[in-house]
Amino acid sequence: MVDAPEWAAGVCAGLHAAGSRHVVYVPDNPLSHVLRVLGENYSDVRTTLATREEEAFGIAAGLYLGGARPTVMLQSSGLGNSLNAITSLLVPYKIPVLMVISMRGDAGEWNDAQVPMGRAVRPICDAIGVPHVTVGSGDRAQELVALAGRTAFGTRIPGACLLPRRVTAPTAQS
Amino acid sequence: MNRFEATKHLLSRVDRDPVIASLGHPAYDLFAARDRGENFYTWGSMGLASSIGLGLAIARPDLRVFVLDGDGSLLMNLGSLATVGWVRPENLVIVVWDNGEYGTTGGQQTATAHGADLDAAARALGAAGTATVHEPRDLATAINVARADPGPWVIVAKIAESTPSVKPPLDCVFIKQRFMAAIGNPEAATIGGRT
Repeated sequence: MVDAPEWAAGVCAGLHAAGSRHVVYVPDNPLSHVLRVLGENYSDVRTTLATREEEAFGIAAGLYLGGARPTVMLQSSGLGNSLNAITSLLVPYKIPVLMVISMRGDAGEWNDAQVPMGRAVRPICDAIGVPHVTVGSGDRAQELVALAGRTAFGTRIPGACLLPRRVTAPTAQS
Repeated sequence: MNRFEATKHLLSRVDRDPVIASLGHPAYDLFAARDRGENFYTWGSMGLASSIGLGLAIARPDLRVFVLDGDGSLLMNLGSLATVGWVRPENLVIVVWDNGEYGTTGGQQTATAHGADLDAAARALGAAGTATVHEPRDLATAINVARADPGPWVIVAKIAESTPSVKPPLDCVFIKQRFMAAIGNPEAATIGGRT
């Protein structure tokens, strides 16, 4: 096993337990830990890098149509880039995707420009019908990510796991 | 050729291959040409048809996946060509109906009417094969090659607008379930199981 933060190992174990074997992502500093763990410990999970978050959701939708249970990983800023894909593809077609969202703009943020979108993530998810759960501590990550994934793929409603900076930031600066 | 005629030519050559259609006129013409379970009509998410096709091509390497995109839609998600060029799924064929305009929204010109070359862009971003076609005969040849040889392929078909008069079903879940059943995805099961 690699020496990874507990929350990152938990995210990997959780999405794997929910049956997800495809992760489509746009890079983010904390999420690099998740990618490292996937690369070293989960050879059956395929990762695909998208140029933009909206594109990642399109790829994930195609993966689902083909029988996969896709995860999309992104920074919260990228949720804004993704809204048309979520609201006019995933939600009306009932295409489930597990979203793992690394938060910016919450407690511990240093960059003003990240705050407005960070504050808007939960109200936006509520407004567009995407259930969300906040991973409050590293030791809950596996359980909550697995639960969110099972719920999403069972109900065919995309669901989000939010990773606050106070959980991820000790391992990253941005 | 106009887009409706080109769509009929394409459908006559793709057997039961899945076809993902971009929203608006490309989807309307696909429905009008021949409605079939293997057609996936998008009703929103402009720009993402090629991305949906990429995901399906990754998940189902046994299928030859066709995408019917528009020039305006592909320009909205040009990064998709770079991702396709990186992943290089051999079983993906992106057909771009290039009329140089946003046909569904009233005919406003796109950048391809002013020199933007999507064939050259696809080549530069890593497509295995590309073609630009103007006639039904050349479109048929390109489709036959793209079905036989390893992709990803990007076929830019220069077409005229065809003012569709019918629309696909509006029920998105119906479209999805029927599509998944047609390509053999067990998630699409429409009969009950054991409790």
